Amino acid sequence: MTKENRNPKQKPQAEKSSSNLELRHSSVIRHSPAGPKLLSKGRSFVIYFREWSVAFALFALLLVLAVVAPGFFQKSQLLSICSTAVPVLLVACGISLVIISRQIDISAGSQFAVCSVLLGLLVQAHWPTLLAGLMAILAGACCGAFNGALIAGLRLPSIVVTLATMATWREGLRWWRQGEFVRDLPESFQWFGLGQAGGQAAVLVTTVVLFVLVVFGMKHFSAGRFVYAVGSDAEAARLAGIRPARVTFWVFVVAGALTGVAALLNAVRFADVDPKTGTGIELQAIASAVVGGVAISGGRGKLWGVLPGVLLLVCIAPALVFLKLPPQWEKALQGCIILLAVAADGWRSAREKG
Amino acid sequence: MSTNPTAASTSRAILRFETLLALVLLLEILIFSKTGVNFASRENLFEVLRLSTEIGVLALVMTPIILTGGIDLSVGSMLGLCAVLFGKMWRDGGLPIPLALAGTVAVGAAGGGLNALLITRLGLPPLIVTLGSFSLFRGLAEGITRGVDNFTNFPKSYLFFGQGYLFGFIPAQLPAFALVAVGVWLLVHRTIFGRSFRAIGFSPEGASYAGIPVAKRLALVYVIAGAIAALAALIYVARVGQAKADAGTGYELLAITAVVLGGASIFGGTGTVHGTLLGVLVVAVLKIGLTLSDQPSELAGILTGGLLLAVLASEALLKKLSARRARASQASVSAPT
Repeated sequence: MTKENRNPKQKPQAEKSSSNLELRHSSVIRHSPAGPKLLSKGRSFVIYFREWSVAFALFALLLVLAVVAPGFFQKSQLLSICSTAVPVLLVACGISLVIISRQIDISAGSQFAVCSVLLGLLVQAHWPTLLAGLMAILAGACCGAFNGALIAGLRLPSIVVTLATMATWREGLRWWRQGEFVRDLPESFQWFGLGQAGGQAAVLVTTVVLFVLVVFGMKHFSAGRFVYAVGSDAEAARLAGIRPARVTFWVFVVAGALTGVAALLNAVRFADVDPKTGTGIELQAIASAVVGGVAISGGRGKLWGVLPGVLLLVCIAPALVFLKLPPQWEKALQGCIILLAVAADGWRSAREKG
Repeated sequence: MSTNPTAASTSRAILRFETLLALVLLLEILIFSKTGVNFASRENLFEVLRLSTEIGVLALVMTPIILTGGIDLSVGSMLGLCAVLFGKMWRDGGLPIPLALAGTVAVGAAGGGLNALLITRLGLPPLIVTLGSFSLFRGLAEGITRGVDNFTNFPKSYLFFGQGYLFGFIPAQLPAFALVAVGVWLLVHRTIFGRSFRAIGFSPEGASYAGIPVAKRLALVYVIAGAIAALAALIYVARVGQAKADAGTGYELLAITAVVLGGASIFGGTGTVHGTLLGVLVVAVLKIGLTLSDQPSELAGILTGGLLLAVLASEALLKKLSARRARASQASVSAPT
């Protein structure tokens, strides 16, 4: 099927755009799952400009590092960056789903802490790692279901609900544990008992499999398309036979479960569990998602763009160290990247509107 | 939406809501005066106000922002940045205190201006813009102090502003709090600006068709928020006597909590300044009352979150009920015809 007979009106515009970078692409092409396949490579680059530009920024940063500080590319260094990125990436995937469905979740950090502490206590009580991990994921899903029930069931604003649950989980945890670490985890728990190299490989493989699954699912599963539909226009989705409340609820459940997985893959790195773990991870995850091209207004964003988004933000701290710059500027640089990314979005959409 | 009876009933609901909140506050005071040591005393009353000044003024300026349907996550970070910059200007820049004060407020307004520029010029969502500046401002504060620098030994005359008492019993920062409260109340409830904030919150497009300069009004609320966050920083530094990069961490969420607890809709359009003040007091009294009653401080956070959810859920249920009743009455009216 060629493009003309799919949508003949698009042709003249597309021709104009090949000579002129100011592409005024139709949102239909960009968002329909089949659309991108019909486009040639060069044009798909223009359409995914947002995602590619982040990947290029990451590439440029790595290039600078390769020239100035080749020590950055040691295997141990890269592995340590990857294992820092893993929890953020998984939480960011969950939050991306939430944002695409036009909601927001700022309680992910507290959920992360709840799951981590629960996991630690279960492992300490000599539960098998896998079972304890499943319980942690279940706990995350339950936290998400609580948010989802209030947001989808009672139609409360998600930012306020998750603000309240963020404070409640975090303070509840502090009350329960009095800030105490979960110590004396059995040897078999660390790195799943596979040793550091094997454990790191296991963590990375699990993450990659999950990430690919989420990316693929959002693009090709009907459930994934429902999330986009509800985020674009809940009323239109309802008329098309989708139940928006149900989709919203399950999005929060999945996001909670992904947070649980993130907590599990994070906890195996350490010998004890800090009850303050995960503070601020929700904002880091939201920032990565937005930098990776997920529109905060819902219904738009490619999940794979989240990966360069996460890596770019996570690489800054070690990059500063290797470039012999004061590492305290990390947050300021991250803030600049977020603002630049959204400003570029705004500038582009303003230009598209003409 | 625009029919008269619904408008009247929503205004009545808001009235009811604030009375409800006042009742909660009264209940808290009654309980804590029984359980708390020295709770029901004049000193403690002023202490509650003294400790809630910074979050109080932030919540006050957050109110018009939320009225316009926006949000500002950067005020807490702005407080940290301003605290650090104030210390830097005074100690390392050698500026006299009054100049440093003015400079800090100017920086605050400029920071708010940056938010306003991105939000109005590029039409970006405030949530994500202020998330970026949340990170940026805090990061600048950390970068400037290298994460460890701490400014102390401020002159007595300045510290009086945060630690002293006027006439022996009124905390010195209270007049500033009162001034901001009255100013914001007048701005929101007695000027044409306040009306336009609500109009923008209900529908930015409708507001612009009605001739309201939407961009200018939006810029105004964010610049005011930045400047007042700087003021809050000055009060904070005077109260605790030191300026560190982590000053005011999490204050933005406390301020938003107070505003929402005070009855403002997070989607914009509805809300009052006196409601926000009640929200601030409910949270502050809860916290101090629990401490004086020898209860764990974590309980305050849990109860605040629970209260927020309870208030919102009951509001949503009430709305559902009244909508059902309205539909039922409409059905009974239209049935004979």
